[in-house]
Amino acid sequence: MKKVLLLNFLFLFALLGQVMAQSRTVTGKVTAAGDGVPLPGVSVVVKGTTTGTATNADGSFSVNVPADAGTLVFRYIGYVTKEVAVGSNSTVNVALELDNQQLSEVVISVPYGTVAKTAFTGAESTITARAIEKQQVTSVSRAIEGLVPGVQVTNGGGQPGSSATIRVRGIGSVNASSDPLYIVDGIAFDGTLSSISNDDIASIQVLKDAAASALYGARAANGVIMITTKKGKKGKPTVAVNVRSGLSERLVPEYDRVNSQEYYELMWEAMRNNRLAAVNPATKVPYTPDEAVAYATENIGGKNGLVYNPFNVPANQVINPATGKLNPGVNLLYEDSWEDALFRTASRQDINMNVSGGADKSDYFLSLGYVNEKGIVKFSDYDRFNGRLKVNSDVTDWLKAGMNLSSTLSSTDGLFADGTATSNPFYYTRNMGPIYPVWQRDASGNFVKDPVTGANALDWGKATQMGARPYAGNSNLLGSLDLDDRSLRRVEATANAFVETKFLKDFTFRTTLGGNIYDALTVTFQNSLFGDADNVKGRGTKANTRQISYTFNQVLTYNKQIGSHNFTVLGGHENYFLDSDFVTATRSGYPFPGISELAPAATAEGSNSYVNKHRLEGYFTSLNYDYNQKYLLSASFRRDGSSRFYEDVRWGNFWSVGGGYRISEESFMTADWIDDMKLRASYGEQGNEALPSYYAWQGLYSLGWNNVGRPGVIISSLPNQELQWEKNSNFNVGVDFSLFNKVEGTVEYFNKVSDNLLFAVPLPYSTGITTRDENAGSMKNYGFEVQLGYNAIRTADFDWRIDVNMSRYKNEITKLPQEEIISGTKKLMVGRSIYDFFIREYAGVDPNNGDALYYKDVLGEDGKPTGERITTNNINQGSQYYQGTAIPDLVGGVTNSLRFKNFDFSVLVTYSLGGKFYDGNYATLMHPGSYGSAWHKDILNRWTPENRNTDVPRVQNALATQNGISSRYLFDATWANVKNINLGYTLPTNLAGKVGLNSVRAFLAVDNAYLYTTEKGMDPQRSFTGTSDFTYPPFRTYTFGLNVNI
Amino acid sequence: MALMMLTSCEKEYLDTKPTDQVSIDTVFETVDGAWVALDGTYRSMYTSLTNHGNFGQKSYDLMSDLMGNDMVVHSAGYGWFNPEYQYTAIQSVNNDQRPHRTWFYYYRLINNANRILDGLETAVGLDADKQNIRGQALAIRANSYFYLVNFWQHTYKGHENAPGVPLYTKGTIEGAPRASVQEIYNQIVADLTEAETLLDGKPRKHISHINAATAKGIRARVALQMEDWATAAIKAREARGTIAPMSAANYQAGFSKPNSEWIWGLEVNTEQATIYASFYSHIDPYSGGYATLGTQKKITKELYDLIPETDIRKKVFVTPGTGTTTVPDYAAIKLRLPTAGNWMGDYILMRAGEMYLIEAEALARQGDNAGAQAVLNTLIKARNAAYDASALTGTDLINEILLQRRIELWGEGFSLLDIKRLKLPINRPTGPGNHDPGLARILTLPAEHPSFLLKIPLAEITSNPAISEADQNPD
Repeated sequence: MKKVLLLNFLFLFALLGQVMAQSRTVTGKVTAAGDGVPLPGVSVVVKGTTTGTATNADGSFSVNVPADAGTLVFRYIGYVTKEVAVGSNSTVNVALELDNQQLSEVVISVPYGTVAKTAFTGAESTITARAIEKQQVTSVSRAIEGLVPGVQVTNGGGQPGSSATIRVRGIGSVNASSDPLYIVDGIAFDGTLSSISNDDIASIQVLKDAAASALYGARAANGVIMITTKKGKKGKPTVAVNVRSGLSERLVPEYDRVNSQEYYELMWEAMRNNRLAAVNPATKVPYTPDEAVAYATENIGGKNGLVYNPFNVPANQVINPATGKLNPGVNLLYEDSWEDALFRTASRQDINMNVSGGADKSDYFLSLGYVNEKGIVKFSDYDRFNGRLKVNSDVTDWLKAGMNLSSTLSSTDGLFADGTATSNPFYYTRNMGPIYPVWQRDASGNFVKDPVTGANALDWGKATQMGARPYAGNSNLLGSLDLDDRSLRRVEATANAFVETKFLKDFTFRTTLGGNIYDALTVTFQNSLFGDADNVKGRGTKANTRQISYTFNQVLTYNKQIGSHNFTVLGGHENYFLDSDFVTATRSGYPFPGISELAPAATAEGSNSYVNKHRLEGYFTSLNYDYNQKYLLSASFRRDGSSRFYEDVRWGNFWSVGGGYRISEESFMTADWIDDMKLRASYGEQGNEALPSYYAWQGLYSLGWNNVGRPGVIISSLPNQELQWEKNSNFNVGVDFSLFNKVEGTVEYFNKVSDNLLFAVPLPYSTGITTRDENAGSMKNYGFEVQLGYNAIRTADFDWRIDVNMSRYKNEITKLPQEEIISGTKKLMVGRSIYDFFIREYAGVDPNNGDALYYKDVLGEDGKPTGERITTNNINQGSQYYQGTAIPDLVGGVTNSLRFKNFDFSVLVTYSLGGKFYDGNYATLMHPGSYGSAWHKDILNRWTPENRNTDVPRVQNALATQNGISSRYLFDATWANVKNINLGYTLPTNLAGKVGLNSVRAFLAVDNAYLYTTEKGMDPQRSFTGTSDFTYPPFRTYTFGLNVNI
Repeated sequence: MALMMLTSCEKEYLDTKPTDQVSIDTVFETVDGAWVALDGTYRSMYTSLTNHGNFGQKSYDLMSDLMGNDMVVHSAGYGWFNPEYQYTAIQSVNNDQRPHRTWFYYYRLINNANRILDGLETAVGLDADKQNIRGQALAIRANSYFYLVNFWQHTYKGHENAPGVPLYTKGTIEGAPRASVQEIYNQIVADLTEAETLLDGKPRKHISHINAATAKGIRARVALQMEDWATAAIKAREARGTIAPMSAANYQAGFSKPNSEWIWGLEVNTEQATIYASFYSHIDPYSGGYATLGTQKKITKELYDLIPETDIRKKVFVTPGTGTTTVPDYAAIKLRLPTAGNWMGDYILMRAGEMYLIEAEALARQGDNAGAQAVLNTLIKARNAAYDASALTGTDLINEILLQRRIELWGEGFSLLDIKRLKLPINRPTGPGNHDPGLARILTLPAEHPSFLLKIPLAEITSNPAISEADQNPD
């Protein structure tokens, strides 16, 4: 709360300042003629003076004018400058016309500089602040999905404060990183994306081809995402306050599961069927049906069965042996919902204020923010304070300097274990059988009081309470997550300073030093009273990562115009440094509950520390040339050295060439429906040096294998001095166009070939070192992408714009170190994609006995498949087949933006069509009969002698050979998400002005409003690989927000 | 400024080294480094590997007992080791399954031993140190091959020419084919013979280190498996030397702290303990580990009833009728953590009691009834003062020794190798106190059934050109 107060004070301060200003004020709003989109950053100057301001994010402005002022001049890059007589008006609303002649003034950020959009030969997409701020997400990585083509994004799950994962134009690597390079304000960014406040971001550019990104050399192979933060604009100071408050709830619903009554009957059946399949050791013949029924009826609630009995009769009287159903008069005494106990509707607050402005010689931007995002699972949340200060100064005509400082404090609680760990609440709540209660009950079903606290006692599934629960005994997450601590506290800071000088008229020299500090303290505390660590009286781990990285570069630019020839030549040097220190210690044996520090714990359990070091050095140059903005040429070259490789091979060359042809500038292109048209193509090579290890080439022994008090090492890797980076050859051809003054778009084709792919090439397993890293594979990603913008309606009161983008890529492996590499549910082979499923094929159910059947190849005499297939009821004998890929056919997004007078409304729908998803969560719920584990409702359709034609096999406890990974659990991954709905109302400027404000906009937003998937419960957007189990489900957020500009 | 641009960083800027690893060359500069490599190799015998079912040598010892007749699993619990008990785990060729992890465990030991033997040649240091390290590395290698060949093939006798396992005596990346059982045993015997000589008179730095007595003990085990009775008797006697059987109190102290009887063991302190992924997690019902959470390990009623009331060894199992929900009737309380509240507990690998039993059996099989009786009586009288085997001879005496072996060494990892060398079937008793057919699944198996053999992991078949699917053990 304190932080909110602080912000309010600042807000008040700014307000006072405003009131004290004495002058005649003219307010208004600047929009783009046609689509009516507000234009931010338009320069508004009183003609003949230096008095002026710039418009805010919503296009509004407020300027002090002398009493006799006659005319305001509105200037904006890309638009025709307009002069408007003020007269006695206090409000001046202006619509600026697009100036095609001035389009060349739109500049985009490229590595180490900027370039006019029209003169750019590369493939790039820009996301504006306007598109980002509509979405109420903490990490900007989550705002990118569906906005630009060529980008595929996971949903990032629901862990508060976590980020989504991004892939640019396919999957670039198998074993090295496929992440794009993140550049923030020109410097490689090593922090967490969620540490950057979305309110601080001016734009995001995705650089996709060689011409756009090759200047980043050894790190550019997977594309580059450049984030540019806001800066102050010359003119009067402005204050923007954004307050957003919301509620979050679960987006992906839980699977439908059977209830307690169904569960008991089904488990009885599973136990009976188990017995029917067994041999009676006494008689040496199989058990008779009567024996099996009697056994199951007697034992279903016993030690080797379900253990618990939630009914009002003794366990051996619950099931009627004749029918297999509950006996008449058997009533359920209780059924607790673990979801209700652990999930919740969570709140989200996001408050930000920034002050910006600038005088003649300098500008500044100051921003403060606070985010508090509670998790939809109890005991998990994230909060963050962030601040940023950006100052630039023109010291003299020839010298500029600037600094950009940011810092973030964040705290995450509830970093739960993942996978099938008992302490993972998603695995735990989903798979807990319905008969197992959260709170302990006595034989009559009444709550049991905790003798100490007097509250209802939790049931821990222990023999000393209701019995040794067969699912996750000795645990109760409602109890233990409360007492445990799994938190992460981070301090992140960036400092970025530059000095730039101009000399000899055409030369500019700029040197930049940018650094990142990342400090993360992780606490993992398992409580001393219950659960995994109660036998050692609690266990605590503290781990700290302290990472410092910096980039230092020097860039000389020569910019020359000779007649119609424009040149920009650039040369530079850069080095990059990263040291990441890690230290951790664990102790157990705590004297009192509630203490989690290390020293109070009596027993040392382990400690570790190490430093990772990474260094890069590069020299680079580039040339951009255009003739009359019609014929465009670009070339770049970079030579990079990396510490990851042996000295003889650590330097590599990366380059690009690009060309463009603005056909619309030709005199013969007289068609007036073509506003602008540019053809372009590029080719080049980039590198990917981000191997999983910093030291992969070295032959090493692992330290720390100490034998009690004697230090020990064992061999961990063999040397490979030839090891080097992965290389990416990137071809791109595209056309940018603007037609009928209504439609603009880009269509592109790309073909990226990744060579020298790193593989942990298997060594003969029995040699004791199982793999060695080698450059041994190739893969290509090729496809097309389309982006279209259509201004459907443009009137003074009503605008409607539609933005559509779509991307399609194919991934194909072209070389492997082995004929095939099987990894989990996938098999890599030449001609296949990186994410092709290779699993057994489900052949349905044998109607005669309910066996699950799987296809199996018939082998000829040569041991090879003959092509004929038979079925087997042993999954282990089933043949594995390719069954489709996790890579979708088409991904993209559609944005509809509407404005009616002062109301604005937009809807972003993102989609992914095709591809497969292996639903491991569902598979876990369709087990043949594990006592204690929950069942999906689909199990009700299991095979029985009466229900012979079904695709769900019979239930039978401990039937190990008929269930497993197969096409039975493989589904169409298609999904569509109404990712964002935003409805806003902007107060008329004159009204706002009356209360001393420049503008006020109130809005309602829904993020992740509706998700369509082919199967309920499935979360296919969680990963690129088409598999994900027991992860934190993503959430939907309803937000009310207010943007106020002063 | 131009100067700045042209000034490259120094060459060393791009030279980085890890801080948690060290180069191969550094390790073998001196014998001190070789000692460090040797200790790391021993550490790998008790660290956890991949999952909670792998914790070094004792996980394979536990598998060995669970595949036998005398160890009952109380209930499915969290499921660890159920598939071993049910004979399904060893059939799986996939990654991270029992054969894959076992194979890797022993070949990692062999590789580290081989690399020590290779590196030692140029390491600077005293000859005495070099001999000591070499002797230990040879013995580690021999011990590893002994388990490998016994897990992946039937016993030595009658299968001398059967395929064994790939044989490596140097650090290499070239895959070897399955050598014959005879070739593997030749290497084992050669290594142990050299090790005994090298280690003779060398001081031992830690109980985990193989000294001359340990090498002889391993040699005795190997000879027993080879039915080389004369060697077995001699080496077993030499290995135990003058060690008397431990006291009754020590026998009931949990086998987790070395006492006078220990010849070889691994010390596990709290810092290096592997918590749930540890032997005591799976065997000690008081640990709070998996053996508390359902998979308590119990002696069969059948074997329990064969232990006389006056025998102190009956006290390391819960007396029927006195059990609790977490420590039920017949549950083994033999192998226990020394102190509640932490996971510190040493792993026993070899003790004099076993050497007495090897010697007694080897003598009896050579017809030396009197000698065998004397050795047997010395050991068993320490457990049960009323004991006397003096009346037994011939087959009766051998059978008595084998019964005492089952009782004395219950839970210490000898079942599978004994069943194999004695060519016994699986015949698990059922009924109250014995195996539950619903959990055990396998109740009988004929002697030398293919189910006794671990499968060669798929990872080996796909990565080693010298081994193909045709080399796989039969189904």
